Amino acid sequence: MNRLTCDYVRAAILDPGTVPGDWVGRPDAAAHIQQCPSCRDWLEAFAAGEQAWAAEPADRFAAQVIDRTAGVEAVVCDLPLLADLDPGPGFAERVLMATSRKPATERWRPRVAGAWWAMVRRPRFAWEAAYVATVCWVLVFGNPVGAIEWSATSIRAVARERLGPPVNDLRADLDAWRSRIAPGPVPPAGEAAGPRVEPVPPVVRVWEAATNWLRSLTASVVNAIARAWERATSWSEQPAGERPAPPGEPPTDAARSPQ
Amino acid sequence: MAWEAFVRQFQGRVFALAYSYAGDREDARDLAQEIFVRLYEARGQWPTGDEFLPWLFRVARNRSVDYLRRRRVRRPASTADDAEVAELPDPAPGAEAQAIASDRRSLLHAALRGLSAISREIVVLRDVHGLPIQQVASILGVPLGTVKSRASRARVELAARVLALSRGRGDA
Repeated sequence: MNRLTCDYVRAAILDPGTVPGDWVGRPDAAAHIQQCPSCRDWLEAFAAGEQAWAAEPADRFAAQVIDRTAGVEAVVCDLPLLADLDPGPGFAERVLMATSRKPATERWRPRVAGAWWAMVRRPRFAWEAAYVATVCWVLVFGNPVGAIEWSATSIRAVARERLGPPVNDLRADLDAWRSRIAPGPVPPAGEAAGPRVEPVPPVVRVWEAATNWLRSLTASVVNAIARAWERATSWSEQPAGERPAPPGEPPTDAARSPQ
Repeated sequence: MAWEAFVRQFQGRVFALAYSYAGDREDARDLAQEIFVRLYEARGQWPTGDEFLPWLFRVARNRSVDYLRRRRVRRPASTADDAEVAELPDPAPGAEAQAIASDRRSLLHAALRGLSAISREIVVLRDVHGLPIQQVASILGVPLGTVKSRASRARVELAARVLALSRGRGDA
């Protein structure tokens, strides 16, 4: 007879059906359990578990499982009830009316527009766009501030190239005009026929005419106001009997008295 | 298929799906109309055969998510009471059968509203509308294993909620 192993004994205890014959009555099995302390401990623990299991109501766990699975099955069987609901009267007409105003769109346009708007409407789109723009910026210009330097340099060069000659001409005209109208030292008589005066540019002539006209207009207005003020003050300083009539009334003529 | 015939054939399913998202009858009507308008606009892109129904559910689901996002900005989400749900008409004939089905539907809707959003979507697409689990995963954009595990958990949770609600109603 072969010597029994621990595994064989424990398997026989757990599932007696796997062992042929009446293994409990075999003397070698009882001898193995008596001699093997680990199998003895294991058998004590198993017996304690069996007693605890036997203390539970026999059908409690099974009833719970059956209740649980039966409930789930019942609910799952009922769920297709929710698959088709009546939206109420007039719903189809309402949909048809709403769609009758909309022509069917073409294939690629709504797809592109839909993809675009779906991308743009995402909350993270601004961050993603900023990230992509920054990456492109760095890739193109080399460093973040390189583009600013490049832009400033380019703008300055373009300004010099395109705007430089007219600005320099205008600046030269203005300088020449300023030097001409500035009150300089009176040249001596011998130098009257000095260097030949260059013709005045049209812009300067127009500017001078405008300023002269404004000056003369201002002077005439100021003179008129001053004369009116003098008349008013001289009239108010005269005695009442000697006062001439106010400017709006004709002077009293004694020869034309009604007497 | 003519557009009008399509609307009349699918209005019940689209409305049911919209109702599962909106949770309110009037909002569900508005949402279902938006879904139909979107379907009409995309008439040139309709897939054929077996791909049509999953595509329809995908469009409806995207529309519903947009709608809920807009509504969340406009006003807080409303929860329909059981009486409103019970008023939903039932295609089943017979007054008694209609009343029983209406009661069961209201119970299921109330229990569904208690689930998390992803669990509710899985249950609605998988168990209510009968889509294969692969298509549910594709529509929701989540891994297949996630759908499987969540589907079984959601079923158990839904059953527990239905049981609790039915006991609460019975006690009342």
